[in-house]
Amino acid sequence: MESKKKEEKTAFIPQGYKQEALRAGHPDLKDPEVVLSLLEADQVVAAKQRTRFGRRELSFKVRLMLWGLRIYVAIMLVIVAISVFRALHGH
Amino acid sequence: MPDRKKNPNTPVFQPAQPTTQSASSSSIGPQLAGLLTHEDLDRAQDRWRVARARGKGRAALSFSNLRLLWLLVGPGVLVFLGENDAPSMLSYSATGARYGVGFFIPFFVLTFVMGFIVQEMTVRLGAVTHRGHAELIFDRFGKFWGFFSMADLVLGNFLTLVAEFIGVRAGLSFFGVRPGVAVGAALLLVFAVITTGRYWTWERITLGLAIFNCLFIPAALLAHPDWPALGHAVITWTPFPGGDRAEIILLILSTIGATVTPWMLFFQQSAVVDKGMQPRDISAGRVDTFLGAAIAALVAIAALVATAPLFHHGIAAADFQAAQFAQALEPLIGRAGAALFALGILEAGVVAAIAISTSSAYAFGEVFGTAHSLNRPFREAWPFYLILFGSACAAGALVLVPHAPLEFIVLVVNVIAVLAMPPALAFLMMLVNDAQIMGEYVNTFWQDVAGVTVTVLLVVAGLGFGITTVFPQILAR
Repeated sequence: MESKKKEEKTAFIPQGYKQEALRAGHPDLKDPEVVLSLLEADQVVAAKQRTRFGRRELSFKVRLMLWGLRIYVAIMLVIVAISVFRALHGH
Repeated sequence: MPDRKKNPNTPVFQPAQPTTQSASSSSIGPQLAGLLTHEDLDRAQDRWRVARARGKGRAALSFSNLRLLWLLVGPGVLVFLGENDAPSMLSYSATGARYGVGFFIPFFVLTFVMGFIVQEMTVRLGAVTHRGHAELIFDRFGKFWGFFSMADLVLGNFLTLVAEFIGVRAGLSFFGVRPGVAVGAALLLVFAVITTGRYWTWERITLGLAIFNCLFIPAALLAHPDWPALGHAVITWTPFPGGDRAEIILLILSTIGATVTPWMLFFQQSAVVDKGMQPRDISAGRVDTFLGAAIAALVAIAALVATAPLFHHGIAAADFQAAQFAQALEPLIGRAGAALFALGILEAGVVAAIAISTSSAYAFGEVFGTAHSLNRPFREAWPFYLILFGSACAAGALVLVPHAPLEFIVLVVNVIAVLAMPPALAFLMMLVNDAQIMGEYVNTFWQDVAGVTVTVLLVVAGLGFGITTVFPQILAR
């Protein structure tokens, strides 16, 4: 409990980043180490571009639900299109 | 720019995992050092300001904590004030003019509570995964389901954008501005806001514009509301509107369904990512989302109260457009009140146009793997900016086409948004409960209960709205 409180108190300080650097007027963004210390590992554009979470396994129930929703949207869009067409032509 | 193409000279990283580890202390840190982009540097600067404010803050109401809130507020307020768009404000106004104050005031509050529950999930998704909503759907469900949800988004966003420019045109027509000038000025504003090349600047300017959504509040005060009646309505949810049962149920369903629209899910998650929010910012993101929902609910109620005098004077306003509302209100609440109302409609259209076109551009970049950040200069992310400004231009141009079916577009906008919500919410609930990408930040039991309740309500509203729109005789007396 005590260590968790201590962890929460220091959580604001980015890992690998010096406390005194936070007191400076501006971060030294020319130093890659400073930039990387302020961002999370998968927050850097290069890391995001080259990593994917990958496909999840879709169970039969999930696929059935997704297909059901797809059919629902398709049918409703057709019905809406027909009703708009009728309204535009004064039926 | 074609980010996903394999380059043999760049390092290969392991599959992404939810992590709160800083890049410098991760195993891939040394490899990333030489691959930093302009976007990374801008985001690091924003993170430095947040870390600095967080480092100084101790007391709950200290200056540093207020500064921290100021730094982290943005996506939530923008999404909700963007949702208070031209069609929504006209809908709230029509409700006030037709039914006066009563049931709909607490009902609006309830719908915004539902909106908060859903949008909070996008904050967590964005802060933990650092991926936009479209990107996550493509990653986790594949291209087939991804393009399905994108088709809904693209169609809904474009039609809604058209409706925003209709609002801009109508709002400025109160001041005698010609349609071409009104649309041109709005497009110029959208262009000016996106040329800053910095997410932070874009967000602050758009927030500054969004605050004018509150113009409906002084307009409501000028209508001299009956405060005891307002208090009675909030507590008792009465008087319940009388009249055509089908029309009232349709209005209730459409209000529920229009509270959370697909673009809001995509926009807020992408904005949270572009802002660089991290899991430690989730509580601030919740405050941001709550503030947005609260202000938007207040403005929605103000629009209803401002137009309530039309109800009391028996003025039929069911099919009014923005300028007609303002003109009809002028003898009742004065020239100033009517002008505030027209300006409010104009603002609602402009801010929503900025937010919705940005939402489309984010989704395009996430799906096609091109740069998609407002921190990128034009030369690095020109497809992103072209989609953003191009979609706004196309919508604006359509509004100026003679005899274009604009009234039907306004009608269909809500129907499309409501119809697209069930699949969007299904993807949202599955993503936010996906432990492989969310780790410890998956929904808790009560968040699931709240999320499922809202999802079921919205699905029922969507189905009901769709059915009653197409078959209105079902609910006829």
